[in-house]
Amino acid sequence: MALDSPKELGAIQFGLMDPETYRDMSATKVITADTYDDDGYPIDMGLMDPRLGVIDPGLECRTCGQHSGSCNGHFGHIELAAPVIHVGFTKLIRRLLRATCRECGRLSLTDEEKEEFSEKLERAKELGEDPNDVLKAAIRQARKAGRCPYCIDQSTGEPTKQHDIKHEKPTTYYEVQDVLSGEYSELIASAMQPDPDDEDDPGMAPQELAEKTDIPLDRINQILSGEFRPKADDRKAIERALDIDLTEEDMNKLMPSDIRDWFEDIPDEDIEAIGIDAERSRPEWMILTVLPVPPVTARPSITLDNGQRSEDDLTHKLVDIIRINQRFMENREAGAPQLIIEDLWELLQYHVTTFIDNEISGTPPARHRSGRPLKTLSQRLKGKEGRFRGSLSGKRVNFSARTVISPDPTLSLNEVGVPRRVATEMTQTMNVTERNLDRARRFVSNGPEGHPGANYVKRPDGRRLKVTEKNCEELAEKVEEEWEVNRHLIDGDIVIFNRQPSLHRMSIMAHEVVVMPYKTFRLNTTVCPPYNADFDGDEMNMHALQNEEARAEARVLMRVQEQILSPRFGENIIGAIQDHISGTYLLTHENPQFSETQALDLLRATSVDTLPEPNGETETGDPYWTGRALFSELLPDDLSLEFTSSAGDDVVIEDGQHLEGTIDEDAVGAFGGEIVDTITKVYGETRARIFINEIASLAMRSIMHFGFSLGIDDESIPEEANEMVDEAIENAYEQIQELIETYAAGELESLPGRTVDETLEMKIMQRLGKARDSAGEIAEDHFGDDNPAVIMARSGARGSMLNLTQMAGCVGQQAVRGERINRGYEDRTLSHFRPNDLSAEAHGFVENSYRGGLTPKEFFFHAMGGREGLVDTAVRTSKSGYLQRRLINALSELEAQYDGTVRDTSGTIVQFEFGEDGTSPVKVSSNVENEIDVGSIADRVIDNEFTSEEEKARFLGTQEPPTNLSEYAGPGLNKAGTQEVESDD
Amino acid sequence: MVDVSQHELVPDHTVLDDPEEVEAVLEEYNVNKTNLPKIKRTDPALRETEAETGDVVRIERDSRTADRAVVYRLVVE
Repeated sequence: MALDSPKELGAIQFGLMDPETYRDMSATKVITADTYDDDGYPIDMGLMDPRLGVIDPGLECRTCGQHSGSCNGHFGHIELAAPVIHVGFTKLIRRLLRATCRECGRLSLTDEEKEEFSEKLERAKELGEDPNDVLKAAIRQARKAGRCPYCIDQSTGEPTKQHDIKHEKPTTYYEVQDVLSGEYSELIASAMQPDPDDEDDPGMAPQELAEKTDIPLDRINQILSGEFRPKADDRKAIERALDIDLTEEDMNKLMPSDIRDWFEDIPDEDIEAIGIDAERSRPEWMILTVLPVPPVTARPSITLDNGQRSEDDLTHKLVDIIRINQRFMENREAGAPQLIIEDLWELLQYHVTTFIDNEISGTPPARHRSGRPLKTLSQRLKGKEGRFRGSLSGKRVNFSARTVISPDPTLSLNEVGVPRRVATEMTQTMNVTERNLDRARRFVSNGPEGHPGANYVKRPDGRRLKVTEKNCEELAEKVEEEWEVNRHLIDGDIVIFNRQPSLHRMSIMAHEVVVMPYKTFRLNTTVCPPYNADFDGDEMNMHALQNEEARAEARVLMRVQEQILSPRFGENIIGAIQDHISGTYLLTHENPQFSETQALDLLRATSVDTLPEPNGETETGDPYWTGRALFSELLPDDLSLEFTSSAGDDVVIEDGQHLEGTIDEDAVGAFGGEIVDTITKVYGETRARIFINEIASLAMRSIMHFGFSLGIDDESIPEEANEMVDEAIENAYEQIQELIETYAAGELESLPGRTVDETLEMKIMQRLGKARDSAGEIAEDHFGDDNPAVIMARSGARGSMLNLTQMAGCVGQQAVRGERINRGYEDRTLSHFRPNDLSAEAHGFVENSYRGGLTPKEFFFHAMGGREGLVDTAVRTSKSGYLQRRLINALSELEAQYDGTVRDTSGTIVQFEFGEDGTSPVKVSSNVENEIDVGSIADRVIDNEFTSEEEKARFLGTQEPPTNLSEYAGPGLNKAGTQEVESDD
Repeated sequence: MVDVSQHELVPDHTVLDDPEEVEAVLEEYNVNKTNLPKIKRTDPALRETEAETGDVVRIERDSRTADRAVVYRLVVE
């Protein structure tokens, strides 16, 4: 088949299918519900008829002569004994019934109205609006008509009255008609009786009625005795004479055949006025008279281990349809009563309905014998695992690998450690040329198990040969130019690496391969933030790229270093985290001194191999280097930067020398570390990558130099501090007691807009919050600045002062739904308290610290608050996931054009200038104070580019080059006849 | 009734009366009228102007990123 090259689709058109087309394309009519006979051969004109395609290998298709695999299968058809409604179109059927005349089938709109809606349709198409809205509006308008504007009812001589259509889901339609009430004689008689409450009413004699209505007296008598049903005219006359209503609403069921007849009458131009293309979609085709039978290839039966055949759900459903269809025909031919026919009709409708969609509300789903609902046509297409989202948009892919991730600080952030097992399984195609022939042969001769080896070779004639341990030596010699070799992944190959959920573009980045032993993917810890990865068992996926274009694109656009800046907030998302930050903090906070050995050790994992001038000499006369000086070695030589960290520390960097301030999260951290951000924007991604790698190495060395650990004793405070905390809490308790007493005495003044109860709650909460804070302050005062937890909290590496407060001082108030804990028993939270106890401890105040340990009651309240947090996160992730999906679906077709506008696929402008300023968020400075000095960047680039002042001046246009120089005056040409060009690499 | 066009948060809406002006806008962005963003004729901001369906409105608004942003909208039903 000629499907090798992608084809461009001009247009896709959807419409209904003509039953005749079903018959034409059908390979066979299906009449028997059986599939295979006793010998296991498919029955002719059965559901597995060989003309419907082949699934068993070796057999030949009776329609096209091809074998299984190349034959796509062929449709068959079932002639339905009676028309049934297609469930997919119930809404449109209802609309058309309501909008068209029951007699002549014409749309109940005047010509002007039709014209108007045609125009509106045109407009909607132009503006890219939904034509469905126009259709709905037209139907609404037509429904208002009440009477057909085109035809005359023969019996009344008036325009035909349109009845209301009632739709009982899923597939029953009724016409609501006014018919003569069954109790008409009683109604007339009672109206003729004199009114007992009204003495003036003498009643009406039959003679009088006969006169008034022009009906003969004996007919009146017959009507009164219930022997004769008055015709519509007579009924109206009697109604007028007696001022009564003799009708009642009757529901007249519309059988699918009635609806089909009705729709056949609708003229083409009428439905075209409401946007239905009559050429392709006649409305009567929404009522099925022929049912297409999907090819066997779409519903293959499987042979179980015990040799039994198990049929597909669709086949089961088709069996049901054929059985009922046959029973229907037999019964009708035998002249069965109308009631039975109607029952069978309904049953046929049910089976066809569930064949199309088995999840219709109001219909019990068709079930398998085991009780499992059948998976029918619509279920195959719908939802995440359906054909569209599951099989077409998302497929399983080759050249991919997945395993657990673990950290490796020795890798560059651009790299990924790939286990040898993975590297030998995933291949890259090598086109063998003169230049790589030897290399290609070496790969092949290493075989599929050695690394770096090869798994397959492809000869120029297209034959693919598997490289095995046995034939690899032999094969290697045969490899020639123009062969293709599928070699293993080797160091430096580019692959795509991904962690789900892929919430932003940095969730999928390109890395360079480093083949490693063991079984996990290894990555530099600084790329954890963009992937949101940790190493508690996270797994990640890797994809090997299969053509040069993809590899080049990945390297240029997707490599980790190209993603250092996040388009979300325009600052770096890759940078130092956790221990790196503690490390730089220790190195720079008190600016410690290092001996030569120590300094060299700190910088050993970086590219710095010579120390700068020492910062001074110790008392013993040995030179020393300060932490900040060592840190400065990693900075670009001409970097100047000043900023205030959120800890309030002024950091000063001048000409690449870090002079003042502590390097913490605000300086080098991921999520907007000022130095990383500036280096990326001013010196480029490559310099930033080097900087981040080296910062991480230096920080790891530094934290190992100082030693950094945290134990439970680091959170204990002296006894007197504990007493102070207790006292602070005791104070709060007393004040709360006072508050409660004022409240009990009814003297508490409510805050504006709140009740007294709410005011009390608020004040108590406030007071307890203050109590915890003061406990925290007391605890903080007793922690040294060298306390590891304090270092982590201050530097922003991990944790906060609040965490410390809770560990050492007091855990504080537990809350559920933002209030103190108020649930549990009647009027109290636990049976340990008196009813209506308003005190702090009865409503979830935890006065102990985590280190000190919680009382059982506190522990319980704490668990309540903790549970709420867990539920919240669970709910939030699922909610935000769906929100994200919807947002991405809505935005996915928007694109920034070359002219700066943002447009959707139909060319409609969404923004006249991207972001109103046409600027990429990653190309601008993070804040006003740190504006990027473009001039200095330009100067630096130009200075690096030109060696002589003269050339520079010429390039800048400040000095005109001499023209019309004699051949002897200018620079000579080289032998190749071209001006010598120096590589700018 | 309140005239919202006087409110500080409602940007200036002006109808492009001159067909040439409209043409220039369409030319600049190389679009058909129907590919412009839309605004309803009944939009409160348009009450004071006499915009008809099919007109093009220029809206000049303050922008967080570009100080001043100009956009055009097609008036629809």
